[in-house]
Amino acid sequence: MIHDCSLGEFMIAAIARTIEDGKLAFHGFGSPLVQLAMHVAKRTHAPNMVLIAGATYGVDPDPPFLAPTSNDWVMDRGASSSLDIEELFDLAAAGRMGRMFLSGLQIDKWGNCNVTRLGKSKLALKLPGGGGGCNLSCDVQHLTLWTTGHRSPPDSAGKRRFRLVEVCDFVTNLGHRTADGRDRRELGHRGQGPEWLVTDLGLFDFDPEGHARLQALYPDITVEEVRENTGFEVRTAGPVAVLPAPDRETVALIRRLDPLRVHEHEIRPDDRGRRFAVA
Amino acid sequence: MNDPRTPHREGPRRDDGIHTRPDKRTRLEDLAALVKDGDMIAVGGGLSSREPMAILRALLRRRIRGLRAVGSAHGIDIDLLCGGGAVSCSSESYVGFEQDFGIAPNYRRACESGEVKVDDSCCYTLVQQLRAAVLGLPFMPVRSVRGTSFPELHPEYKTITCPYTGQELLLVPALAPDVAILHAQYGDAQGNLRIEGPPVMDLLFAKASRSVIASVETIVSTERLIELGGITIPYFYVTALAELPLGAHPTACYPFYAYDRPHTALYYEAARGGPERFSADYLQPFVHGCPDHAAYLARIGEATRRRLASWSAGEAAWMSLYREEVTA
Repeated sequence: MIHDCSLGEFMIAAIARTIEDGKLAFHGFGSPLVQLAMHVAKRTHAPNMVLIAGATYGVDPDPPFLAPTSNDWVMDRGASSSLDIEELFDLAAAGRMGRMFLSGLQIDKWGNCNVTRLGKSKLALKLPGGGGGCNLSCDVQHLTLWTTGHRSPPDSAGKRRFRLVEVCDFVTNLGHRTADGRDRRELGHRGQGPEWLVTDLGLFDFDPEGHARLQALYPDITVEEVRENTGFEVRTAGPVAVLPAPDRETVALIRRLDPLRVHEHEIRPDDRGRRFAVA
Repeated sequence: MNDPRTPHREGPRRDDGIHTRPDKRTRLEDLAALVKDGDMIAVGGGLSSREPMAILRALLRRRIRGLRAVGSAHGIDIDLLCGGGAVSCSSESYVGFEQDFGIAPNYRRACESGEVKVDDSCCYTLVQQLRAAVLGLPFMPVRSVRGTSFPELHPEYKTITCPYTGQELLLVPALAPDVAILHAQYGDAQGNLRIEGPPVMDLLFAKASRSVIASVETIVSTERLIELGGITIPYFYVTALAELPLGAHPTACYPFYAYDRPHTALYYEAARGGPERFSADYLQPFVHGCPDHAAYLARIGEATRRRLASWSAGEAAWMSLYREEVTA
């Protein structure tokens, strides 16, 4: 009998809740938490979601297990058909893709993400790059952002290097406002920007100004911890809720889909011991 | 794209770009000789699947220099070229090892040192640029990208006001790579290619590039290609090809073999250890120390080949290829 779950399993369930039924949803590569969240959503509350796998572009695949790379044939098992790369991106450009999931080594208060480079004038750290995230952040109707690196412990000099930053060094994926503060609506993109941000500390939505706003926390986290670990003003709208834990069926489903625990690569070692009672 | 050596090309080819020689089979070394210093290359496959690794190793043995890499989702292929000193500019949208190993060490070092000029791009931007080349048009529009930092890296992007709707759009110029380098499961002597599984950008690369060189797991008759399910890339796009079994190793080429995760772990550790360690522990034993593909196959060994083919025995066997302890 399953009595408790890990942070990764909790985050997967939280991301899954942002996925609506009957829409076309796409995950990029290198994001096992999101891949699992899409499979959980499809097998629970969103059976009519069109699940498009990143890298293989398979339609509604049913992989027997998650591989440590997203372009493996195992990830395409059971797909009823597959899209080519043009078709996938055309669907988004035409405003037909309902949801996509994006992350970054920096995420700013407007939901801009940086997966390209650290360092403003001089390149300090080259990141892998965003794949199609730049295009999709503009075109996809709704975005769920996620990060497993919200907690930013102080270094030996007492300085924190925030994942949630005031300003990104480079904007790979567009949030609600550009770096110079222009509202994305002025640009006439198809997509409406980030709707949710799921982190290892809590869940944010975005206020009418487009600023991240703390909605809920994991049971073991306080608002004060979120403030300490966030590089911008933590706004709230009234009392902050506690995130609902996944039920045991959801946890069992995740464990069946990911027997190799590939998703734990995304969870920081310090957070792998966090346990939560299941609903 | 900021390089004056590679002006924006509307049409894809030097000549008419139609390759009709009835027999295009050649040796790996002659295939690799079709790529010149400074060429813009588009590498087929993606991430850890069906990347033309044997050809890339042959390019490094030739000490090729100054390549400009364009493409979408890449890993060990572009990282190896960077580690071998072959790349001068990257317009890739992603080069990394996903969650499995993370950041690509050689690529990262080469970008940070300035050895590789970083002109990152994004998937749909590239799709539209390649499509413009396929269509023989000077540019294509996109609605996206505006508002991000990418235009700062790409002064060649222009914005226009749409003459029909009055909306602002971004124009991206045609992009015709000099050479598309592909690996397919099957081909015939004439150069017809059959790709199984996700083709990623391979078709678009083949159609947009000025020449296409390919390795295949096995060369069969045209009739057999049709029996296998049909031709993915018709022969007239293809300049030359070579039969190179395990030519994508250590990336996967199903149904023949899976991703070689332990070899990738070995590669990653060598690359992470810095240029000297990479040279000693990887480039020397697996690239420069193997005079040809047969020597490489002998180096990785028959047991590896059997192990990577075992994925088809069932889910348990497939999954066991990816267990962490295998890498120890």
